[in-house]
Parts: sequence; C-alpha cells; structure tokens
Amino acid sequence: MKLLVECSQKEQLYLDSIDGIILPLEGFSVESVLSFSMDEIKRIKRESHCEVFVKLNKNFMNEDIEDLKNILIELDQLKIDGVFFYDLAVLQIKKEMHLMLPLIWNQTHMVNNMKTCNYYHSKGVEYALVGKEITLEEIHEILEGTSMKIMVEVVSRPSVAFSKRSLITNYYHDLQKEGGNSLTVTEGVSNRSFRLLENEDGTSFFLDTITNGVGVIQDLYRWKTSYIVMREYGMESFFGELVHDTKDYIQKNCEDSSYVLKYQKLGDYTNFFFQKTIYRVKKNG
Amino acid sequence: MDKVELLSPAGDLERLKVTLLYGADAVYIGGEKYSLRANANNFSLAEIREGCLFAHKLGKRVHLTLNIVFHNEDMEEVEDYIHEVVDCGIDAFIVSDPFIISYIKSHFPQVEVHLSTQNSTSNYKAVEYFQEEGVDRVVLARELSKKQIQEIVEKSKIDIEVFIHGAMCTCFSGRCALSNYVTNRDANRGGCAQVCRFQFQTTEEKDFTMALKDMNMAEYIEDLIEIGVKSFKVEGRMRSLYYLATVIGTYRAIIDSHYDHTLTEEKMKVFQERLDRVANRETSTHYFMKKADYTDQYYSGRGELSNQDYLGQVISYHDDLLKFYERNYFEVGDLIEVFTPAGDHISFVVSELYDEKMNPEMVARHPDQIYYLKQHFDVSIPEYSMLRILKRKED
Repeated sequence: MKLLVECSQKEQLYLDSIDGIILPLEGFSVESVLSFSMDEIKRIKRESHCEVFVKLNKNFMNEDIEDLKNILIELDQLKIDGVFFYDLAVLQIKKEMHLMLPLIWNQTHMVNNMKTCNYYHSKGVEYALVGKEITLEEIHEILEGTSMKIMVEVVSRPSVAFSKRSLITNYYHDLQKEGGNSLTVTEGVSNRSFRLLENEDGTSFFLDTITNGVGVIQDLYRWKTSYIVMREYGMESFFGELVHDTKDYIQKNCEDSSYVLKYQKLGDYTNFFFQKTIYRVKKNG
Repeated sequence: MDKVELLSPAGDLERLKVTLLYGADAVYIGGEKYSLRANANNFSLAEIREGCLFAHKLGKRVHLTLNIVFHNEDMEEVEDYIHEVVDCGIDAFIVSDPFIISYIKSHFPQVEVHLSTQNSTSNYKAVEYFQEEGVDRVVLARELSKKQIQEIVEKSKIDIEVFIHGAMCTCFSGRCALSNYVTNRDANRGGCAQVCRFQFQTTEEKDFTMALKDMNMAEYIEDLIEIGVKSFKVEGRMRSLYYLATVIGTYRAIIDSHYDHTLTEEKMKVFQERLDRVANRETSTHYFMKKADYTDQYYSGRGELSNQDYLGQVISYHDDLLKFYERNYFEVGDLIEVFTPAGDHISFVVSELYDEKMNPEMVARHPDQIYYLKQHFDVSIPEYSMLRILKRKED
C-alpha cells in the first residue's frame, strides 16, 4: 500500500516521505487549495523520486477541449504516473489519441460501487479514488470485487461540493463589502461548518472538520488497497510529521498501535466510514 | 420538420395523464427504486404499465429515471428491475451510471438511453464519449451558455436535451454532497435535502445564502429550437397538478406558435405572465446569455412565495354547470379564468356558485370540497381543466 499526498503549500511537498504526490494543474483542476503550472509539474517530475499524479478534475467546457488535448499529450510524453479525471472528455481524448497515460476515475461523489469500477477498468482506466460518502464495508466490497487499483482518502478536510458560481463574491456584493476568496460558513441545526474557496472556476466547499481515518488504515492495508490518500489542507502545522509517521506505520505492516493512538489527536470524526447515509425518509403512497 | 419534444415531469399517474393532456410530448417518471426523488410518490410497476399504455395511446412517450449514483447494494436487484420496467413498456431510461448504460444497451438495444444531467455533461467531447457508448441522448449541464449548447449540438450526432424551466441546483449536479454532510441524507441517491436553500452563519452580520432563482427559458425557446436542441425538459416531479398544467400548457403554446409562425411579442407577454403567476420563486435564464452572477441568487432565506391563484380543478361540464374541486378561496363577483388541456383560456365573472347539494353560495371556502359554477361556455371544458383567479372583486 502506498501513501499519496495532496499538499497545500508549495514550499513543502514532503517528497522524501511519501510514495506519490497529487499536483492539481492550474486552470484544469478544482476542489483543491493549491495548483501548479505545467513547468512546475515538469520540474517536480524530473527532480522527485516519488510517483507524480496530476489532477485534471474540472467539468470542462468546449473552449477547454483543445488545451486539454495538448495537456494530455504533454503529460503522456512526461510519463506522468496518472491523471485524476472527472469529465469523460479526458477518457475520450485518451482513447482517440491512443495515449498510454494511466487514468484515475475521480468523479468525487460517484465512485461508489464495484460494477462501475469494473466498467471503467474495461475502458482502460487503471485506478479509482473511491467516494468519501461510502462505508468502510462498501470499500471492502469494492476492493474484493474489482481488479482496478483502488485509492482511499483517509485523512483530509473533505471536499464536499463544487459550484461554478462565484458564491463568495455574490455574498459580499449583497453585503456591499469587500470580501476575500475564502469564507467559513456554519449551518445552525447540524452545526456543520464548511470552508468555501473561490477562484475563477467557481466555489469549492470543504468540510471544516478533519476526517480521521487513521484507524482504518490497518484494514485497508490488509485488504490490499493500492493507495491511501492524505490531503494537507487545514493541517499544515503537523502534516509533515503525519505523513512521515504514516509511511513508517505502513512499512511496519500497520501493526504499531502507538501510531493510531498518537493520531487520536486529529479527532474522532470518521466521516462515512462507519455511518451509512439514508435517502428515503418516508414510505411511498 | 420534427418538432422539439416537450418533456414534462410526472410524480404520479394523475400528473402523468394531466401533463400529457396539456401538451407534453413525453413524461419522465421515477419508479419505486433508483430515482433521484426517493421521497416523491413514485410509480409502482402496475402504474408504470398503465402510464405507458395511456401515453402510447396518445402517441407519446414515457422516460424512466434510473439516475441515482449506485452503491454496491443498489446494484443487487437493478438488472431484474430493468427487465421488469422494459416489460411495462417504457420508451427510454434516464441514467447516470455508465455500467447501467452498457447493461441496458446490451440487453435492450431497442430502448433508448438518455444520459442524466446528474453527469453534468458540459462539452462536446464528453458527449462524444457517451455517443460511442450507445447513448441516444444527453441531457446537458445547466451551467452552459447559448454558444456552448450550440457548439455541442453542431458537433454531436445524438440528441441534445436541455432544461428550460424549474428549480436549479447551486452546485454542478452530481458534484454536491452537502445534504450527506448536513442531514445524512444521500444527495445522489434521491435523498437531497436541498441544503443549498438553507441559511448559514458567518462572522458577518447577515447569513450566507446561495439559493438560486428558478430557471425560465420562455423568452429563448425560439433560440433553442433554432440551435437544434431536440428536447426541452421541465423540472419538478413533486410539483402540483396546477403548476404542471400551467407550465406545460404555456410551453406547448409557445412551441406551437413558433412552428406555425404566430408567436408575436404580445402573445409572448401573455405566456410569460402565466408562467410568472404560477411561479413560487423569481426566475432567471442563468448562464444562457451571460456568466451567472449576483442577480441569479437570493440573499434572504429560501425566497419562496405561496401561490393562491389556483382555485379549482374541473371534474365535468354539462348543461352550463361546471363541477369542480375547490382549491383556494374565491367568491361571487371575482374575475376568474378556466383553462383547458386543449389550450383554451376563458375568463368570466363568477355569478352563480353552488355547493355539492346545489345550495347557492356566495363564497367557495372549503378546499377539496365539490362546488358548481353556472356558466355558459362555447367550447368543451373537459375533466382536468383548471380554474384560477384573475382579479378579486375587492381589488
């Protein structure tokens, strides 16, 4: 099992402690706090020994398609280790251009079952980053039921929604005030808070609570998960130590319980690993 | 020339019948499983069969939504279910999951598959992918401009469907799990709690809201037809009969007037007014002619109004006696209108009103009770005609 990381500060990429890094490409990725230019990606690919994955997870518009083609060709030539995609235009271009570039199915809230994983695998998609709204049991079933390489996000402030609209700008316009590009909002009944980040592509929503999946890493390791993913956003002060310790934990076959105890400090929120969502609130009729 | 399809929502069998009578060319419905409105009164297999028979007799079509984002457990019985509903006679599936698409296409090549807007398809290259997977139609994302829709239509060999009317999601469809995180209700399996219409506290003096105005594309229907869009979808499987009759009847009239070259500015004004009166929110055309902005949102709560225009639903009309179920208060002396599935709109002042036992009444004040109006009409006023207020006598 490998450790894959998405960072939130360019100065510190933890390249020596991790197996792979996710680099969101400027203008072509959303739901990330940091993005990289193509030149930066090339440099990191050249200089690092870890795997380099590039995130191209926007909903693309017609006018993006030619650039997207060129980027995919360039990434293919660079022998990037994989591209995270949301929009099926990416898969179509890969097919048309006969690119060798490995793809990761990353339709944020949709990667929830093994049959669709197998469908994408049959179309040449090598990896899937499973949705964050499914249980650990469902992840286990997917791992058992597909030969695709599975990635599971275990520690992060999860991204939970994305709008093409400039929601923070609009809010401050109504207030007749100058606002920034970030805002924390709280829903009163549930007491759930979200961090909103806006750029020219739209507004990303992140849950303002850390998902602490440290306790499930051992199971994921036993079930031969290909990658676990950690995202730094909101954990900058201790993320370096966390990834170092996690790498060490994996190298010791995930048997060192002191690691799990140490990271209880991340909190007890385990997202949907142990909680099923409901969707029918009344009977028909 | 083939006319553009007018596609209506239908939350139950009665809505299916009414909306087809009012001019929809096709309806989309949800079965008891796998639809994104898990809490609507969805159709049983027997109702699907009856709905298909009714539609097919009129030469119209029924599309079934199968557009949840599937978990493993949802996959267990879906294949059997697909066989069952095909047997009921449905004409098309609306699907978001590509495995389900491939399953349907390999087992039932005669049944159409439409890619749900849940996929938020927003470019011609993604359409091309699904075209090669055998999809017959793509329902585009609601975040596209006229130019973008036009380019997709021009570059695609399959039908393109767009939403023209109804409520909007703030986020890309399928790309939102706010409901899961706030209410534990699964947004992508039909449990969406519409969290984007909630209010959120910030450190500012006023709450943060992101609720959107509804979509109303009436003024651009001709543009959309000229672009080559094949189907116009109205949102709202949980909307009332009156709402559906008004909205579908009005779009039917706009589309027909376009094709017979009688759509004048004056007529459009009347049509727009009808749509505005039945709306419970303000409307916008969102991304169609500009980048969506400040003007497309609400900044104080949900922004919904209750609508008291709807007075009654006609049961029958014989010998100048109009029998109807009352829905909202009205009285003798009010100026009201009866409108029919055939598109007739007749206004009159209420002069004689009776209760179910034919006792004279001055007011109708008991919703769901049967009343009679004495009034002569020169046209047929069939069942499912609707009554609405135009002007109250005290106004």
